[in-house]
Amino acid sequence: MQQHIMEGYRILDFTQFLAGPTTTRLLAEMGAEVIKVELAPAGDPTHLLPHRRAGRSGYYIQQNRGKKSVCVDIRNPKGLNLIKELVKSCDVLLENFSPGAIARLGLGREVVQALKPDLIMCSISAFGQTGPLAELPGFDYIAMAVSGVMDMIGDPDQPPYFPMLGIGDVSAGVHALAAINAALLHRYKTGRGQYIDISLLDSYFHSHEINVQAYSGSKGKIQPRRSGHHHYAAAPLGLFKCRDGYLFMVVMARQWQPLCKAMGRDDLVDNPNYDTNLKRVERRLEIVAIIEDWLRDYDRDEALRILQDMHVPVAPVLSVPEAMEHPHLIERQVVRTIHDRGYGDLQIPGIPLRFSEFPQPLDLQAPYLGEHNREIFTRFAGLSAAQVDALQAEGVLHAEPLPEGIASVASA
Amino acid sequence: MTPRHVLDGYRVLDFTQYLAGPAATNLMVQLGAEVIKLEIGPHGEPVRNFPYCRDGRSGYFIQQNRGKQSLCLDPKHPEGLDLIKRLLRHCDVFIENFAPGVVGRLGLGWDVVRKINPNIVMCSISAFGQEGPLAEHPGFDYIAQAYAAVTDLIGEPDRPPSLPMLAFGDVGTGVHALTAIGYALLDRERNGAGGQWLDISLLDTYFHHHEVSVQAWSASGGKIVPHRSGSHHYAVGPSGIFKARDGDGHLMILALLHQWPILCRTMGREDLIEDPKFRDNDARMAHREAMIAIIEGWLRTLPSTAAALELLEKARIPCAPILSVPEAMAHPHMIERRTVRTIEDRLLGKLQIPGMPLRFSKYEVDEDIQAPLLGEHNAEILKRLLLCPPEQVRDWESRKVLFAKPV
Repeated sequence: MQQHIMEGYRILDFTQFLAGPTTTRLLAEMGAEVIKVELAPAGDPTHLLPHRRAGRSGYYIQQNRGKKSVCVDIRNPKGLNLIKELVKSCDVLLENFSPGAIARLGLGREVVQALKPDLIMCSISAFGQTGPLAELPGFDYIAMAVSGVMDMIGDPDQPPYFPMLGIGDVSAGVHALAAINAALLHRYKTGRGQYIDISLLDSYFHSHEINVQAYSGSKGKIQPRRSGHHHYAAAPLGLFKCRDGYLFMVVMARQWQPLCKAMGRDDLVDNPNYDTNLKRVERRLEIVAIIEDWLRDYDRDEALRILQDMHVPVAPVLSVPEAMEHPHLIERQVVRTIHDRGYGDLQIPGIPLRFSEFPQPLDLQAPYLGEHNREIFTRFAGLSAAQVDALQAEGVLHAEPLPEGIASVASA
Repeated sequence: MTPRHVLDGYRVLDFTQYLAGPAATNLMVQLGAEVIKLEIGPHGEPVRNFPYCRDGRSGYFIQQNRGKQSLCLDPKHPEGLDLIKRLLRHCDVFIENFAPGVVGRLGLGWDVVRKINPNIVMCSISAFGQEGPLAEHPGFDYIAQAYAAVTDLIGEPDRPPSLPMLAFGDVGTGVHALTAIGYALLDRERNGAGGQWLDISLLDTYFHHHEVSVQAWSASGGKIVPHRSGSHHYAVGPSGIFKARDGDGHLMILALLHQWPILCRTMGREDLIEDPKFRDNDARMAHREAMIAIIEGWLRTLPSTAAALELLEKARIPCAPILSVPEAMAHPHMIERRTVRTIEDRLLGKLQIPGMPLRFSKYEVDEDIQAPLLGEHNAEILKRLLLCPPEQVRDWESRKVLFAKPV
């Protein structure tokens, strides 16, 4: 029986760090066979990222469960030839080196498409494969700064902030996943492969739902700007201080009355100073003061219940640990506990794509470096086990030894 | 016939409004799918009035709805509901983003839809998902962001968190929905699997972005506490937003761990390379304020931010100007790659919007598409798919089963 949607597809995955591994992680979660090519001898640099235990990185485990690791010296012609053999057996090739690097390694678009004409090749980069910025080194926050997104976060009179999480990397990874899927559908119907160019900059810029068209349409009259804890175009809409934390509230026209009632301030409902959004925006400092004055006597979760009972859209601003303990996130496995062979139990984010036909997550393990050298190269490159061992002895292939008591998940 | 793009031939019944759902179908249109936007009469999609508006035409609406066909009806009218059910037979995808339970109460839940068309892929988008304790709560982008512990990671540690002035949760959720729909279609084509129901949420999407925090808190047994850290990273550095000369803004510098000596040489401060206060990352984190002061002191000696960027780029130290939206829109890289593009709406005229983030070698994006007027395609869709004659459409419009707004 088919275990999940992508069963039968094989992905050759040259990606490291976060954006590319996010794409192939979801492909593995959907049942695709993902062959992670790690560059010898150290492999994906995230093997060293915190938190580490028993020589294993939680960061690496989160992004690489279910993948098969081969570790190859690709600059050695023998290593390169082995990879070229694998290309012939794969449906998708994904890489996130700097633009041009994969071609210099001898695996550029023309080369791999000649090896496998219906291959889908996807490159992920900070700024895209072309254009004035293409060659610059780029990371998530660098693309965020250039996209006009970072400038929209923080107090207007202070430096901007950046969020302590990799929004752009994960988002670019999901954009790549969507594009690869559409290309696979297209190949299924037409038999044709193609090349896909995904960038963090494109993904970040794509998230401007209002700013770009508003600035353009108003011919510069609307200047998008960061606005601290409260929105600049609607009120009350923002973060409010309680005795022990913060609440986020969105009050649109229909919710002003219920909010006033929740605060026991029926007198404000028809107060002509506040009876339209425009007036509330103009007087939003007054309104924030009124609301925070009321909240001063409440703990966050008490106030939350009162406002929820009045159907005001409201949320507690949860810390990461609080979110991980929230019954909704636990019930839906938005946060889930996995068990790694070496590391032990670990909590990671759940699968954001929920299919009715495949409700059960697959049982996946993150590979040890080079764990699948033998399986992959005997299956797809026509080597014998002894030949793989010889290449490992020669340093063309590399494998870290499995610790005592750890069983391999490789199938050969 | 040569396909126009990768999703050519697929038909989508799009019962979404606001942003998350329309972002998904916006990409589907640009990938070549036919999207029928179902709008609820008499006013249709609420964002038809969102700013910026000119002559009653919203740039916000145009950005998300180009190339879609508008069918405006009353879904609570039995004849309107019947039309939707008949259209479902002709569609590959049905997508909606009402609060959980609403389409079920309208008579269009998955159990009904799958009986009408067993091959259809139905996608429901919501703030918190279709079940669970929070499912019924009203939800918007920032609400899910707060529950997902994303808001808490933005801002100064000793001050309230800060709100990003853009809805990356809604757009991200739309992209997540697009991927799930596409993979379900692939499953249908390749494996004859029939349709299925997809449950996509803002909360799942936001939480999916925690690359470090969740596993680090879990694995360290609570020793690593993820927290917001203002304009500089709390764990590695120099990595943050630095003040340039007065009046010349800020810039982002993300030096890799091995680049400290390179940065010191770039600043002409070789003496700091082996300084025990800054020698390794742990030392620099312990003396973070002093390190920031040194770098900002150096930046003040340079004639401009541009000059600083040039020096840093030459040293291959990752850095960037923090562009405002207008600056980003004017940047030659964005223009050359059409990351920002100019479109022309029939009524509003020229307008800049973000570009197509998915770039395929085989196809160009068709830019010659228009956002629909309310109910513009009532007659055309119903004639082509359900063989309804024009006089019947006019009858429905007169009896407020269908709605259309004249230009």
